[in-house]
Order: sequence, then structure tokens, then C-alpha cells
Amino acid sequence: MVFILEDTINGILMGSIYGLTALGLTLIFGVLKVINFAHGSLLMVGMYVAYWAVTLSGAHPYLTLILVIPVMYLFGYYLQDIVIKPIFKAESEVREPITVIIVTTGVWYVLDNLTLLIFGPHYRTIQENPLRGKMLELGGMLISVPKLWGFSAAVLTAAAVYLFLQKTSMGRAIRATSLDREAASLMGIKQFKIYNIAFGIGTATAGIAAVTLVPFYNVFPTVGVLFDIKGFIIVVLGGLGSIGGAILGGMIIGVIESVGPQFMAATWAEGIVYGLFLLFLFVKPSGLFGVRYDW
Amino acid sequence: MAILELRNLIKAFGGLRAVDGLSLAIEEGQILGLIGPNGAGKSTAFNCIAGVYPPSSGEVYFCGEKTNNQKPWDLCRKGLARTFQIVKPFASKSLLYNVMVGSFSRTKKRSKAEEKALAVLKSLHLDVKKDMNSGNLTIADRKKLEIGRALATEPRLLLLDEVMAGLRPTEVDEMVAVIRNLRDSGITIFLIEHIMRAIMALSDRIVVIHYGKKICEGTPKEVADDERVIKAYLGEDYGVS
Amino acid sequence: MTRENLQKAFLTLVLIIVFGLPLILRSPTYLHILVLLYLYAYLTTSWNLVGGFAGVLPLGHAAFFGIGAYTSTVLYVQYGVSPWFGMVLGGVLASITGVMIGLPTFKMRGAYFALATIAFGEGMRVMVENIDHLGPFNINGPRGLQIPPLNVGLANLMFTNKEPYYYIILVMLIAVLAVTYFISRSRLGYYLNAGGEEPEAAMSLGVNVARCKLIAMAMSSFLTALAGSFYAQFSLFIHPKSVISLDLSFEIAFIALIGGRGSIVGPVLGALLLRPVSDFSRIYFGATLPGLHLIIFGMVLILVMIYLPRGLQQPLTKAYNGLLNRLDRRSR
Ligand SMILES: Nc1ncnc2c1ncn2[C@@H]1O[C@H](COP(=O)(O)OP(=O)(O)OP(=O)(O)O)[C@@H](O)[C@H]1O
Ligand SMILES: [Mg+2]
Repeated sequence: MVFILEDTINGILMGSIYGLTALGLTLIFGVLKVINFAHGSLLMVGMYVAYWAVTLSGAHPYLTLILVIPVMYLFGYYLQDIVIKPIFKAESEVREPITVIIVTTGVWYVLDNLTLLIFGPHYRTIQENPLRGKMLELGGMLISVPKLWGFSAAVLTAAAVYLFLQKTSMGRAIRATSLDREAASLMGIKQFKIYNIAFGIGTATAGIAAVTLVPFYNVFPTVGVLFDIKGFIIVVLGGLGSIGGAILGGMIIGVIESVGPQFMAATWAEGIVYGLFLLFLFVKPSGLFGVRYDW
Repeated sequence: MAILELRNLIKAFGGLRAVDGLSLAIEEGQILGLIGPNGAGKSTAFNCIAGVYPPSSGEVYFCGEKTNNQKPWDLCRKGLARTFQIVKPFASKSLLYNVMVGSFSRTKKRSKAEEKALAVLKSLHLDVKKDMNSGNLTIADRKKLEIGRALATEPRLLLLDEVMAGLRPTEVDEMVAVIRNLRDSGITIFLIEHIMRAIMALSDRIVVIHYGKKICEGTPKEVADDERVIKAYLGEDYGVS
Repeated sequence: MTRENLQKAFLTLVLIIVFGLPLILRSPTYLHILVLLYLYAYLTTSWNLVGGFAGVLPLGHAAFFGIGAYTSTVLYVQYGVSPWFGMVLGGVLASITGVMIGLPTFKMRGAYFALATIAFGEGMRVMVENIDHLGPFNINGPRGLQIPPLNVGLANLMFTNKEPYYYIILVMLIAVLAVTYFISRSRLGYYLNAGGEEPEAAMSLGVNVARCKLIAMAMSSFLTALAGSFYAQFSLFIHPKSVISLDLSFEIAFIALIGGRGSIVGPVLGALLLRPVSDFSRIYFGATLPGLHLIIFGMVLILVMIYLPRGLQQPLTKAYNGLLNRLDRRSR
């Protein structure tokens, strides 16, 4: 019984980090109405930035947030501005620009393979790692410390993004654009500027996720793909565009992945995740917290 | 018998009743005008009739049959066609292609569909542009194409949503003539329009709605003289006391 | 010569070349590369029925490919059923599966369909990797299945040299192109294009958009599965990572998109231009510059989407038409 409780807790912790990786995905979808297939690759870029920052400076892994957040924000901002915006402009009349999805897929391929070309396929772990294998003992259960930090980061980031969207004027402008970009631009909101900012914020949250992952996860060129696919499933479970839904969806996946192997082969637990996803598509496509779309 | 009848039609979006208890009828062969201020619920009423939204309550009868929950494509086959306020051409395709999508609703044969589409384009004087990309058309031609596509489905009732908005005066005159011709060929027309000159000239009867409710109905002359209509357009504060 | 005759002459020339190629090109390596090239052209053309005409983005076609490969292989190896029969059965199974995915998702935003197909493809791979026995069938989990090269002959779709494979996949490619051509000129083709571009307008013109997409999906998954069976017989070894991989799903989509989705020649052109890029970069730079061809794919995809949203076929078709016109005028 204790095992199951321990697995559940560790599952929730890891799952919240999954949720954090998916946060930017759901935010970007909410505003741009586009699934960013390159999101996992952005996470991967964040992990490499954090990895090199720690390795070169010897700083505490979490200290790299100071560097990773602004770097990733700018990366996302200009990625949207330079690569994605032209397509939005070309297809401004199309209600759902599939072409944009396709371009983000291109970005994914370029980023992953460029990284492979530059850094090679090796799995990397940070050497000076004060958090390696650190466990907290709690009534006979072992809880991973870096995952506990990851959980805190996920909850804090989600809360911060939520408050930002609700309470600040920039947040309100972003929400107005997400509801109706034409009306928002009539009110003087610059649609593409908002898109850039939303993309920047989404990428920055991927950066935060990257920093929380680096102390206990390998860094390699295709690491993003794992999180990408999980991220897609999470955002559909939670409801595309819902911030709380992303964290909760992540936790569900995390628990299945960590408790499942008690009862079946670990690879089957992965299968269950896909099954759950397809089940949701059939039964409740809007997810746990999503809104039904107009068609 | 009325070709279209609405009985106490209500369409609510959340708390907002965009159409609120609307009843009206169109006799076959007539032109009925629907006017009202922006946001009055005109387009929403059209969408309910054409099967885009199921009504929240009330009934829609088309040709004597209750059609509340029927789908747009089924209604189209039964003889109901419509245009969109914001035109929606298949922009990467030619005019002929656009219209053939409509004419395919009456035949599976490509040659017949093409023949029909060409005839429709000719009747709208668009035949010279038939191979042009519809994305490159002027606003007036886009509106005409929108009508052409609808006509190709051989409708009995045609819903026209602001087909004259954005046109120049000469183009409006041309459009008025086009619509008259359609009526003379036996098609019943239900028309939303903001351009008063046009709607007054065309309509047999006019229905005025405001906040989803019908506030007045009558001949163009009766409607033009109605105090409630003037108030609706100019605001409640405008008193004639 | 008139335009039509010119076009016919051109087509005949192409046919003579592709059918005569094995007579000149006797190297099995080159024939092998060509078979794979045609296979890709076939796959992208089948994908194009939904991805191009219906205007949605399927990213899990490897699942159908895998269904075809596994169905015919299991039936042949374990029950001695002719792969031709397994091929058709696999097609039917894939078709049913395709419709099942399309049913809930075609009514929603395109993003859902794209995600559902990815999850379906990956879920399928995980399943096959985990199952050794599916009822009476042995699918052998992650180890995959081998086809013993016995009983060679047309009835068993198995040959010792490459030429027969070459001709079979060539005929399949021509057939699928013909199907695409006829669909594009039929009511279904018009409806698919219309529904993909402006669903609301299409519906108002009598198009049941979701149903048309389902039909397209059924055909596309059927045709894709046929190629899976062919591939299994050609390579004589299949395993989940080779026939149900995400990479394959994406590569099919990429090639079709770069070539030009929604057009008939686009996907073929895409395969013709991009397959050699990946073959050669793998051969020459595979060790030194791994992933180079994928960087090229990604870059080309981004640039094409920005500057030529209708794909590389756009300028090429234009040039071809220009040439025809010039020849036409000169001959008058
Ligand atoms: N899909 C929808 N969801 C929510 N509200 C809607 C929807 N469609 C329309 N509305 C609202 O319903 C009301 C009526 O809109 P409608 O488009 O029918 O007006 P209209 O009379 O056609 O106006 P206009 O003259 O500007 O075209 C408006 O307040 C509009 O915001
Ligand atoms: Mg309107």
C-alpha cells in the first residue's frame, strides 16, 4: 500500500512537470489557435541552455533560471515574429491556418537535427549536481527532491501565468485577442505583437520546465519529442487552452505512468495513456476544462 | 401556402437572446426584406433558418415541413440557398469551380454541372471571368459569385445577407436588377439589407427587428413611416414628443 | 501539334521511360532505391486524398501502413494465405480504423484531428510492441516478423530479383494517380476541396463535409495499407519501429506538403525531389553530419510554406504550361 502511495505522489510530482512542459502549448493554442509542434523542441533548447550554463559556470542548476527565462522568451518572441507571422499574414482570411501547424513542424525538425549536428547524439547529465538522487524520507516513503521542486515550479508558474492573464492590462489584451482577434485589433490591440508576446511567454514556461528537468533528466537532441507527444495528450485531456487543465492533465498522465507499472508492464502504461486520450476524443473532446468550439 | 414560416423563433447564445420570439411568413414568389440595427439578430435568424444553428425554441417551417434540426446540406437539397454576409469564396479556385460546387447538388455528372454553372455565370455576366481565381475578385464580383453559387443549387427560396454592403451606387443598381430578375424567374427571396434605397425598392413587405424582437411589419411605405422603426435606428432617447 | 496531343506525347514519353528503366538500369541497388521512391510517391499520393483535398492534416498514416504490413504478413507466414488477399484485407481493416478516427474528430477544429492521428499512430506502435499474441495470431512484439523467402512467385508476391517489385509498385503508383485524377474531377473531389477551404459555405451548398472527409479517409487509409503489404513482401522483415514509426508518418506528410498538397502531381514531385536528398545525404553524410537531410526537409518545408504555399508544383506546373503554350503556338 505504501508503495502505491509513494508512486502516486511521485507520479503527481512528475506529472506536474509534464503539465509545466505543456503549459506553453496550451497558452499558445489559446491565443493563436495553433498547435505548436515545435514546443518540445523549445523545451529541448531550454534544457541545452541550462545544461551549458551549469556546466560552464558551475552554478546551482536552479540559478540558471535567471538566464534561461529571458533567453527563451526572446527565442519564442522572435521565432513567432520571423518564421510564423508571415504565414499568418498570408493566410489572414483562413479561419484555422493549418499551414502554421506545418511550419512549426518544420521548426521542430530543424531545431532537433541542428542540435544533433552540433552537439551529437550523446546523453548528457550535469556533473556538478547538488540535487542528484536526493530523496526526502516521509513516513517510510522516498520522495524525489528535484521533482518536488519541479512540482512547486509548475504550480507557481501556472498561478503566475493565470494571474498575469487576469490582472494585468497586457494579460487582458492577450485574452481579448484570443477571444476575437478582429474585434481586438479594432480596439487598437496589435494582433501580431500579442502573438509574439504570447509565444514568448509560452516558450519561457518551457524554459522553466527545462530547468526543473535538467537536474534529473538526460539532455539529448530528441528529448523534446517525448514531451511533445505527452504535451499534446495533456492539453487535450485538460482542455485545449486551459491553464489549470494542463497541470491537472499532466498529473493524470504522471500518475498512470508511475502507478501503472505496479500492475502491468511499464510499456503498457504508455499504451493506456494513448487509450485514455482516444477515449476522451470520443467522449469529451473538449477535455476536462475546455470549452466547446463553434464547429 | 407560405414557403417559409417562423413561429416564435428564439436563439440564445449563453445569456444573450440574439433572436427573441420572431414570427413571420413569406409567400411564394415574394421578396421579403429584413432590416434592423447592427446586432439586431438578422444574420442569426438566417443561420437558424438555414440549419447552421438549431433554434433554442420555436419552429421553422420550410415548404410546410418543420425543419428545426435539419442540416444545411439537407435543406439545400430541399431548395433553400443562402449567401453569407462575410463572403466565403473557395478562394484558391476559379469562379467556375465555385459555382460547380453548387450545381453538383443537383447532378452527379460533371458535364451537366459545368453546363449549369456556365449558364448561371452568364446570367450574372460573370462568364468572361470564369477562369479567374475567385480570391482575386472585387467585392462586387465576390457578392455576385456568392449569389451565383447559391443559384446553381436551383433554390426555391434564397436568403440574401447584405449582398449590397460595400458596393458603389451603380453596382447597387445593378444588383437590384439582378434580384428582380431572380424573383421574376420564380425564386422567393428573403433579403437582409442596410441600404434603404435598395430594400425599399425591392421588397413586397418588410420586417423590422430590434434586439431580436419584431417591432414592425408592413409594406415599405408603412415601415418607413413607423415611429418605432425610427426610434430603433436612432436610439430610444430620440423622442418625438 | 495541339495542346492535348502535346500533353499526350509527354505522358507517353514518361511512361516509356519509367517502364523501360529496368532494361537499362540493371543494378539492384538503383532498382531498390527506385522501388522505395515509387513507394513514397504512392504513399504521399494516398495521403493527399485527405491531407490535400480534404484540407486536414493527418499525421499518423504509418499506422495504416503498419496494419497492411502486419495483416498480410501474419496471414501469409502463419496461415499460408496469399499476400494479395492479406493486402486487400489489411486495406479493409485500415479503412475501418481510419473512419473510426475520423468520426469524432472531423467535426472539430483541424488541430484535434492532427493530434488524434498522431496519438493513434503512436498508440498503435506501443500496442504492437507489447503484444506477442493477438488471439490466434503471433505478431511477435518488438522483435517483428520475418518472411521466409520460400515459394517465390507472383501468387505469393515474392521474387528473387527486383524487377517484378519495380513493375508492381509502378503499376500501383499509376493506379493511385489515376484514382486521384478521377476523384479530383468528380463531385467528391469538388466537395472535398470546397469543404476543406470553407466548410460553412460548402455545407450551405449541399455538401455534407464530414461525410466527404470520412469517405476520403476510408480511401486513403485503404490505399496506404496496400503499400504496407507491398513493403512487407519487398523487405521480408517488418517490425513496429520500421512500419509504424512517427518518422514515417511525418515524412509522408512533409513530402506531400513540400511537393504541393491538393494537386495531383505535387506529392509525386515531392517524392521525386526529396527522396534522393535523404538517400544521398544518408549515404554520404550519414556518419559525419547525421540528420542533415532532416534539417534540409525542415528548412525547405518552412520556406515553401512561406513563399509557395501550394508547394513546389506551383512554379513547375506554371513552367510546364508555359512550355506547352509555346510549343503549341509555334506549331500553328
Ligand atoms: N456564434 C455566436 N456566438 C455568440 N454570440 C453571437 C453569435 N453570433 C451572433 N452573436 C451575437 O448575436 C447578436 C446578433 O448578431 P447578428 O449577427 O445576428 O446581428 P445582425 O443583425 O446580423 O447584425 P449586422 O447588421 O451587424 O450584420 C449580436 O449581439 C452578436 O454578437
Ligand atoms: Mg448580419
